[in-house]
Amino acid sequence: MAQVQKARKPADVLIIGAGASGAVAAARLASAGIDVVCLEQGPWVDNAEFHGDKPEWELMAQKRWHPNPNVRDLPADYPVDTAASDVNPLMYSAVGGSTILYAAHWQRFMPSDFRVKTLDGVAADWPFAYEDLAPFYDRMEQDMGVSGLAGDPAYPPHRDYPLPPLPIGRIGLKAAAGMNKLGWHWWPGPNAIPSRDYRGRNRCVRYGTCLTGCPHKAKASTDHTHWPVALEHGARLVTGARVREITVNAQGLADGAVYIDRNGRESLQPATTVILCCNGVGTPRLLLLSTSRHHPNGLANSSGLVGRNLMMHPYAAVSGQFDQPLESWLGPAGQSIQSMQFYETDSARGFVRGAKWNVMPSGGPLGMRAAYGGKALEEAWGANLHRNTRRVFGRSFEWGIIAEDLPDEENRVVIDPELTDSDGIPAPKLIYRNSENTRRMLDFHTARAEEAMQAAGAVSVSSTKLMRDCGWHLMGTARMGTDPARSVVDQFGKSHDVPNLYIYDGSVFVTSSGFNPTGTITAIALRAVEHLIANRNQAKVAS
Amino acid sequence: MTTLSDPERAAFAAIADILIPAAEGMPAASAMEVQGAMLDRILALRPDLAPAFRRGLAAAAGKPPQEAAQALNRDDGEAFAAIGLVASAGYYMTPAVRELIGYPGQENRPADPDRTPEYLTDGMLQQVIARGPIFVPTPPRRPEP
Repeated sequence: MAQVQKARKPADVLIIGAGASGAVAAARLASAGIDVVCLEQGPWVDNAEFHGDKPEWELMAQKRWHPNPNVRDLPADYPVDTAASDVNPLMYSAVGGSTILYAAHWQRFMPSDFRVKTLDGVAADWPFAYEDLAPFYDRMEQDMGVSGLAGDPAYPPHRDYPLPPLPIGRIGLKAAAGMNKLGWHWWPGPNAIPSRDYRGRNRCVRYGTCLTGCPHKAKASTDHTHWPVALEHGARLVTGARVREITVNAQGLADGAVYIDRNGRESLQPATTVILCCNGVGTPRLLLLSTSRHHPNGLANSSGLVGRNLMMHPYAAVSGQFDQPLESWLGPAGQSIQSMQFYETDSARGFVRGAKWNVMPSGGPLGMRAAYGGKALEEAWGANLHRNTRRVFGRSFEWGIIAEDLPDEENRVVIDPELTDSDGIPAPKLIYRNSENTRRMLDFHTARAEEAMQAAGAVSVSSTKLMRDCGWHLMGTARMGTDPARSVVDQFGKSHDVPNLYIYDGSVFVTSSGFNPTGTITAIALRAVEHLIANRNQAKVAS
Repeated sequence: MTTLSDPERAAFAAIADILIPAAEGMPAASAMEVQGAMLDRILALRPDLAPAFRRGLAAAAGKPPQEAAQALNRDDGEAFAAIGLVASAGYYMTPAVRELIGYPGQENRPADPDRTPEYLTDGMLQQVIARGPIFVPTPPRRPEP
C-alpha cells in the first residue's frame, strides 16, 4: 500500500459520496456557512457524453451506460460479488451518483410505510412518521423541479408540485383505460423531470432515455440541482477520490478519511464531523473496512447490523402488445402513470404489504432483442425477427411492479475475501434471497397486472416475475432506530456508537416501502442535515 | 481500433444474413451494408465486443453460414451474442430500416405544458378521484417492547 501523503486542509464536515444525499447535505451545509469537503470516487459527467439523442443509444445502453457496475466496468466503478444474490445491485459512480442514470420517478412513501410493525406486525416502525417527513418532501419536490398532478387519492393532501405533469402519452392513456374498466387506481406519475425550463435546466423533450442519462440536461440529477449551489457557497468537491477507510481518533471519534486519487496517491482528509452518503452497498462496505481498536468489527457496528437487512426491491414486469401504434419509444422514461391499487396490506392475499406499479415506455427496436440470449436461432432470428419487431415494436408497454422488500438480517453486504477494486480495496459481496412473502406478492401482482393489460386490450401479454438487473434501490444496511442494540443510527442519521459520524443515504431505511426511494432518501437527508446545522453547537466533534 | 479484413467482413455478412434475412418485406442485413462502414462504427463505439466477435468469425471460417450460426449459438454464446448484437445494432441504426419499421429514433418532441391533459377533460381521471382516498392513515405508534 502506498504511503499516506501529507494531510489536506481539515474540514468541518467531510461528506463521502456526491450522489443524491451527499449533494443535498453539501448544499445545505455550505449555504449555512459550514466548511465542507466532499470526496467522490467518480468524475463529473457532461450531458453531451450521453447517447440518448444519437442513433447508437441502445448499443451504448448495453455497456457504457449500463446501470450494473459489473457490466459497465468503468475505472470509477467498484466490482460487486453477486454470486450469492438473486438480484444485481445497480448504481453509478459520479458527481450526482445514481441520479445520473435513475428514471426520476419522484415518489413519496405512504403513511403506512412508516408504521409496518404497528399495522402489519412485521419488521419495525420507523422512528418518525410520514407527517414528520412531509415538509421535507414538499421542499425536495421544489428543489428537484418535480412535474406532477396534485390530488392523488393514494396520499394525504399535500402541496402542489412546482411544475405541471408531463404527458402520459398513448401508452398511459391505454393503460389508464384498462384500469378504469376494472375500477382500479391510477394517476399520472410524478417525475423529477421539468415540464418547463426550471432553475437552469431545460424542459423535457421526451427523448425517453432517462435511464441512460439525459442528453438534454432536463432530468433532475443532483450534479445540476444541488452541486452548483454547494460549490457557489464554497464547498470543496474532490472527484476521483476513492475512500478506503474512515479514520478515528484516540477517543473513538471519526476524524477523517484516507482516500486514493486517480494517480494512485493516498491522502488523508481530516475532518471534525463525517457524513457517509455512499448508498446501501458502499456505506456498509466502508464501515466494515474501517476497523480499529475502538471498533474491531467495523465502525458504528456494535449492534452487528452494519451490512444487514439489505433490501433491493424485487421488480417484476408485465408487458402487453397491442394491435395499434402507441409510439412506445417516446418519453419520459420517467413514468407515464402509476397505480397503488394493491399497495396496502390485505391479509386475504396471503402476504403483507404491497407494490407500486408504473407504466414506462419500451424503448427502441434493439432493446427488445436483449432478452433473446440463449434462445433457438429460429425463434429469435431469421424471419421471426422481422415478425416480432413488427408485432411488438412501438406497440407495447410494460407495467413495472416494485415489490416491498421486508428486512431480513440474512440479506446482507459483507466484505469479499478476494475481490478488490482497481485500487486494491476489498469489494463488497451481496448475500440476498427473496422471501416467501416476496414470492407470493410477485405472483399476486403479476397476475393482477396481466388482468390490467388484458382490460386495456392487449393482444398478447408476457411476464417476467423477477428481473435480475433490478437492484436500483439499495436500502436498510445501516438502519435507523431508537435502540442502539437494534439499529445503527438515530432518526437524524447519527451513529449510536460514534457521535460525530452520520449516515444519510438509503442505508438508514427501516423498511423499503414499495416506492422508488430517491425522494425519501433526499427528504431524510434534508431533515437530518438541517437538524445537524441547528444543533451544531451541541454536537460532539473530533478535535 | 479493430481493422477487419475483407474475408472477415464477408463471413460476418453471411452470418448476418442468416440472422436478419430478406423476409417479411424487410431487406437482408448485408443489403443494408452492416458489414461496411457501419461495422467499423459499431466496433469503434463498442471495442469490448471485438474479441468475441472476431473469435466467432474465426470459428465460422469454412462452414456454411447457417451451420456456422447454429454452431456458435450452441457452443459459444458470447461470440454469438457479439455477432448478433453487431448485426442487429447496425441494421436498426440504418435510416432506411428505421423508416421501414416506423421508428424516427428517440425524438426531440416536447409537449406543451399549458395544454390541459385529455384525461382531465374527458372524465377519465374523475373516475379515480370519485372513489376517494385509498391510503391507510398514520396510526398511533405501538410502543416498543
